[in-house]
Amino acid sequence: MTSALVTAAVRTPHIDVAGLSPLIALAVGGMLALLVGIFLGRSARNVTPLISLLAIAASIGLSIWQFGEGKSVVADALAIDDLTLTLNFVLCATGIAAILLSWRSRAASVAGHPEYYALMMLSLLGMLVLVGSQNLVTLFIGFELLSIPLYVLCAAEFRKEGSLESGLKYLIVGSVGSATLLYGLALIYGATGSTDFAGIDRALAGGINGDVLLLSGIGLTLVGLAFKASVAPFHQWTPDVYEGAPTPVTAFMAVATKVAAFGVLLRLFDTALVNAQLDWAPIVAALAAITIVVGNVGALSQVSLKRMLAYSGVAQAGYLLCGLVVGTQLGVKATVFYLAVYCAMNVAAFAVVIARERASEYGDELPAFAGLGRSNPLMAWPMTIALLGLAGIPATAGFIGKFYLIDALVDGGYAWLGIVLVVGSMISLGYYLRVIAAMWMGERSGDVTPVRTAAPAPAGGSAGTPPVMAGGSQEADAELARSSKLEPEVVGVAWIATAVVLFFGIIPSPLFELAGKAGSVFTGIF
Amino acid sequence: MSTTTWAWLVLAFPLAGTILIGLGHKRLARGPAGAIGTLAILLAFASAVASLISLQGQDEHHRQLTSSLWDYAVSGSIDARLAILVDPLSVFMMLVVTGVSTLIHLYSISYMKSDRGNARYFAYLNFFVFSMLVLVLAANFLLLIVGWAFVGAASYLLISFWYRRDTATKAGIKAFVINVVGDVGLVLGTFFILRYSGTLDFLGTFEAVRAGAFDAHEGALVAGCLLLLVGAFAKSAQLPFHTWLPDAMEGPTPVSSLIHAATMVTAGVYLISRMFPLFEAAPAAANVGAIVGCATLLVAGTIALTQTDIKRVIAYSTMSQIGYMIMGVSAGAYAAGLFHLMTHAFFKALLFMAAGSIIGAMAGAQSLDKMSGFKRAMPFTFGCFVVGGLALSGVPPFSGFFSKDEILAMVGAREGWFTVLYVVGYIGAFLTGIYTWRMIFRAFFNRPCPEAVELEHGHIAHAEYPTNPANGEREDTEVGFPGPEHVIADREQPMKIAMGLLAIGATILGVLQIPFVTHVITDFLEPTFADSKYVHLHASDGMIWFGMILGTVVALAGIAIAYHIWVRKPGTAAALQARFGWLHRFLVNKWYFDELIDFLIVRPWAAAGTFFRTWFEPRVVDGLFIGGATGIVRAGSAVVRTLQSGFLRYYAALLLLGGGAVVLYFLIASS
Repeated sequence: MTSALVTAAVRTPHIDVAGLSPLIALAVGGMLALLVGIFLGRSARNVTPLISLLAIAASIGLSIWQFGEGKSVVADALAIDDLTLTLNFVLCATGIAAILLSWRSRAASVAGHPEYYALMMLSLLGMLVLVGSQNLVTLFIGFELLSIPLYVLCAAEFRKEGSLESGLKYLIVGSVGSATLLYGLALIYGATGSTDFAGIDRALAGGINGDVLLLSGIGLTLVGLAFKASVAPFHQWTPDVYEGAPTPVTAFMAVATKVAAFGVLLRLFDTALVNAQLDWAPIVAALAAITIVVGNVGALSQVSLKRMLAYSGVAQAGYLLCGLVVGTQLGVKATVFYLAVYCAMNVAAFAVVIARERASEYGDELPAFAGLGRSNPLMAWPMTIALLGLAGIPATAGFIGKFYLIDALVDGGYAWLGIVLVVGSMISLGYYLRVIAAMWMGERSGDVTPVRTAAPAPAGGSAGTPPVMAGGSQEADAELARSSKLEPEVVGVAWIATAVVLFFGIIPSPLFELAGKAGSVFTGIF
Repeated sequence: MSTTTWAWLVLAFPLAGTILIGLGHKRLARGPAGAIGTLAILLAFASAVASLISLQGQDEHHRQLTSSLWDYAVSGSIDARLAILVDPLSVFMMLVVTGVSTLIHLYSISYMKSDRGNARYFAYLNFFVFSMLVLVLAANFLLLIVGWAFVGAASYLLISFWYRRDTATKAGIKAFVINVVGDVGLVLGTFFILRYSGTLDFLGTFEAVRAGAFDAHEGALVAGCLLLLVGAFAKSAQLPFHTWLPDAMEGPTPVSSLIHAATMVTAGVYLISRMFPLFEAAPAAANVGAIVGCATLLVAGTIALTQTDIKRVIAYSTMSQIGYMIMGVSAGAYAAGLFHLMTHAFFKALLFMAAGSIIGAMAGAQSLDKMSGFKRAMPFTFGCFVVGGLALSGVPPFSGFFSKDEILAMVGAREGWFTVLYVVGYIGAFLTGIYTWRMIFRAFFNRPCPEAVELEHGHIAHAEYPTNPANGEREDTEVGFPGPEHVIADREQPMKIAMGLLAIGATILGVLQIPFVTHVITDFLEPTFADSKYVHLHASDGMIWFGMILGTVVALAGIAIAYHIWVRKPGTAAALQARFGWLHRFLVNKWYFDELIDFLIVRPWAAAGTFFRTWFEPRVVDGLFIGGATGIVRAGSAVVRTLQSGFLRYYAALLLLGGGAVVLYFLIASS
C-alpha cells in the first residue's frame, strides 16, 4: 500500500518540453532581460535588446524545429501545431521589428531598458499562448498575459501626458473588454460543461437548439476578442491609444495584437464553435462590414499618421474578419496570409513614421511627410509601397491578400461582403494616396517659402533638363541634412518589410504554401 | 546547354540591351548605343540558332519542350507560370524575329546616327524585340497576353518616336487604341477558353480540346476563337482594324521595316498557327479568318494602286501580304503561311530599307509625285528595290513566288467555296505586280528629278529647312525630329550590308520549299502541326503546275501593265484618273474606311462623350454620385469623429452598447 502511494506521488504529469520550447525561449528571454538589468546598470541599454532578439530568434528556430509535429501539450490546453507556429513566425518577426524600432527610442530609456524589453517579451509570450490555446482557461491566461504588459508599455514614456493617458485609457477600456470576455467564457463553460475546445465541440455536435446561455456566451466572447482586434464598434480605444503610446509600442500593438486576436478567433470559432457557425456567421459578417466602413471613413480626415494608421488598422481588421466569417479552410488560409502581409505593410509604415518623428518638428503629422520623396527617398519608398499595399494595389502582397480574401468570401457564399471589402478599399485610397501625394508632390513645408518653379518638366524626351529642386534654400538644406541622418536599424526594418511586401506580391507561392499548411490544421471545416 | 536554356538566353539578351541602353542613355548616345543594341540582338540570334541545333538533336516526338522559371500563382483553376514553350514553331519565329531584327538594327546605326534620340531609339527597339520574343515563346495565355501588350506598347513608342510631330503622336495614339481593342479581344477570348479548358497552358489547353472539353460548349469555343481573331486582326492590320498601319508609317523607316512589316504585324499569323487545335475545333471561326484575310488582301491591293506616299504603298502591300498569310493559316496551310511569313519578312524589310534610302536622297520627302529617275543616281538602292519588287510580285525564282503560290495551292485544295478565295488570291497577285512596279517605275525611271540630278553630281539634296513629310509643316528641330543629316544606302556600309543580306535572302530563300523538290519548312514544322487534321491536305500535281504558271503569268502581266502606264506612256495614268474619277477617289480615300469608322464609332462615342460631359457628369455624377457619396462619407466621418470624443465614459458606453447589440442579436436569433 505504501508503495502504491509512493508511485502515485512520483507520477508527474508528462511535460512535452520540446513542444513548449518556443514559449520557454520567450519566457526565459524575458526573465534574463530583467535579471541582466540588475547586474549591468547602464550598459543594459544595448545588452537587453540583444538578449531579447536572441530569445526571439531562438523561439523562431525552435518553431521551425517543431513545425509539422502537430502536438497538443499541457493536457491538451495548448496546441503547438502549424497554425500556432506559423503565427509565431509572424509574431516573432514583428517582435524583432518592434525591438529594433525601440532601440534608440525615448520610451525604452525612460521606462528602463530591462523592464521595457522584458514586458515586450512577456506580451509576445502571451500572444503565443493565446494563438495556441485550445482551452478557455488558457485562452484567458494568454489574453491577460498579452494585455497587461501592453498597458504598461503604453504608458512607458510616463513623463509625457499623452503616453500616460493612453496607458490609462487602454487599461480601463481593456478591463471592460477582459471582463466581457471572461463573462462570455464562463457562460460558454456553463452551457457546455467543458472548457476544452474539443469538449465544447462535442457538446455542440447535436446542434445548439437555441441555447440562450451558450449564445449569450458566444456573443460576449466575440465582443471581448473583437475589442482586442479593434473591430468596430469596439474600436474606439484604438486611435487614442495608438496616438498617445510611444510609436514603437504602437507599431507592436498594431500588428502583433491583431495577429494574436485573429489567431484565437480562428481557432475558437473554427474548432470549438464550428457547429454554431450558422448562428455566429451573420453577426460576424455584419461586424466586418461595419468595421470596414467605420475604419475607412474614420481614417479619411486624420492629420496624424498614427491616428490614420489606427483607423486603417480598424479597416484592415474588418478585411481580416472576412476570412473568419466563411468558416472554411480557404478562409483560414486567406486570413493567415493576410495577417502576414498586413504585419509587413504596417511595420514598414510605422518604421517610416518613427524615422520622421525623430527627425521632423511636425512629429507624425502629415506635413512631416511633405516632399519626403525628394528629400529622403530612402524613407519615402517604403512608406509609398506600404500604403499602396494596404490599399491593395497589384504587385504588392496586399493585393494578393485581398484577392485571396475575396476568393474565400465568394467561395463561402458571402459575395456581398466581398463587395463591401472592395468599396472599403476604394475609400481607403482617399487617405493612403493623400500621404503618397504629399510625399511625392508636396512641397517641403517649413518656415521657408518654397521657391516655385515651372513644375511640369518639358514633355518627355531624353534631352529634357531635370526640374529645378524646389525649396533650394539654406534652411531647407539644413533641415534636409538633419532629416537625412537615419538610424540604420529603422531603415533596415522599413526596407526589409517593404521587400517582403513586394516579394510576396510578385512571388506569393511560398507564403501561400505556409498559409495553406496553417489552414489545414482545422479538420472540422472544409 | 539544353534547348530551353538557349531559348531563355534569346529572351535575356534583348532585355539586357534595353536595360543597359535605357539606363545609360546619356553616355551611350550616338555610336555605342547602336552597337550595343545590334550586338544584343545578334547574340539573341546566335542563341536562337543554338536552340535550333539543340532542338533538331532531339527525337522527332520530343520537340515540344516547356520550361518554367517560376510559378506566379498556381492554385486550383489558375496556373500562371513564367514559362516558355520551345517547339519548331517558336524556334522558327525566334529565328525570323532575331535574324531580321539584327539586320535592321545594323541598318539603323547609320539611318539614325544624327538623331538626338539615338539611344532612346535603340532602347525602344531592343524592348520591342524582347516583347516580340516573349510573345512567340510564351507557353501560356498569360505570358502571351503580356508579350502581346508589350509589343503594342513598343509599337506605340516607336511610331510616336519623333514626338514633336503632331502627325506622329496622333498615329501612335491611333495604333495604340486599335491595338488595345485587339488586346481586349485576346483577353476575353482567353477567358472563354480558360472557362472550360481549366488551364492557361497552351499544351494543356490543346489536350483539353482533344479530350473533348468543349464538346458540350462549342459556342464558347467559337466565341473564344473569334475573340482571339479580333486580337489577331488588330495586331496584323486586317479589316476592319487595319487603319492604324498606314498611319504608323510616321515612325522612322527602320521601324516600319521591322515592326510594321517583318515581325509585329505577323503576330496574328503566329497566333492562329499556334492556336490551330482550337481553330480546327471551331471551323466557323477559322472560316471567318480565311474570309477576312482574303478580303484584306484584295482591299489593300486596290488601295495601294493609288497611294502616292512611298511608305504607305508598301504599308498597304504589307496588309495585303498578311492577308495571304492569315487566309493560309486559317485554311489549314500552316507551313505555307509561315513560309510566306518568313520570305515576306525578308523582301518587305528590304523594300522598306530601300524606301528609306530614297527618302534620304529626297531630303525627307516621301511623295512618289516628286520622285523620278533615281536609277542611275542610286544603283544599289535600285537593285535592292528590284529584287524586293520581284519577290513581292511573285516572279520566279524569287522567294515570294514559291511561298505565295504554296498558300494559294493549299487554299485551292480545300475546294468548295475556298475556290473563290483562291481566285481572289490571284487577282490580288495581279494587283501586287501593278502597284509594286508602279512604285519602282515612278521612283527610278523617267527623267531624273532635281534631287536625283544633284545626287548624280555627288551631293545629297538638303531641304532649305526640315519639314514634316506628312503635312509639310516646318519641323521643330530641337528634339524629336530625324536630324539634320540624310543618309542613303549607297554610301553607308552598315546599310549596304543589311540590305545586301536581305536581298540575298529574298532571292534564294525559295529553295527551301520548291514544289516536288524540297520541303524543308514543312518537315521542320511537322512536330508542331502533327496533330492537325489538315496535315494530309495536298494540292494535286496538276493544280500545283497550273498555279505556278498562272502566278508567273499574272505577276508578269501586272508588271507589264505598270510598265505600259508609267514608263511607255506616262500620260495614261492621268487619263485613267480622269476617266474613272469616282473609282480613283474611292481608292485614294482608302475605301472610306477611316470615315466609316469615324461615322460608326468615333462620332457616336464623341456625341455620347459630349452628352455625358455636359449633362450627365455635372448633374448625375457630380451631383448625385460624387456629391451624394462624398456627402455620406463626410457625414460619416463627422459622426465617427463626434463619437471619438476622447472621453472614456463614452467609449465604455459604446462598448457596452455594441456588446449588448451583439448579445441581443444572438438572443433574437435563438428564439
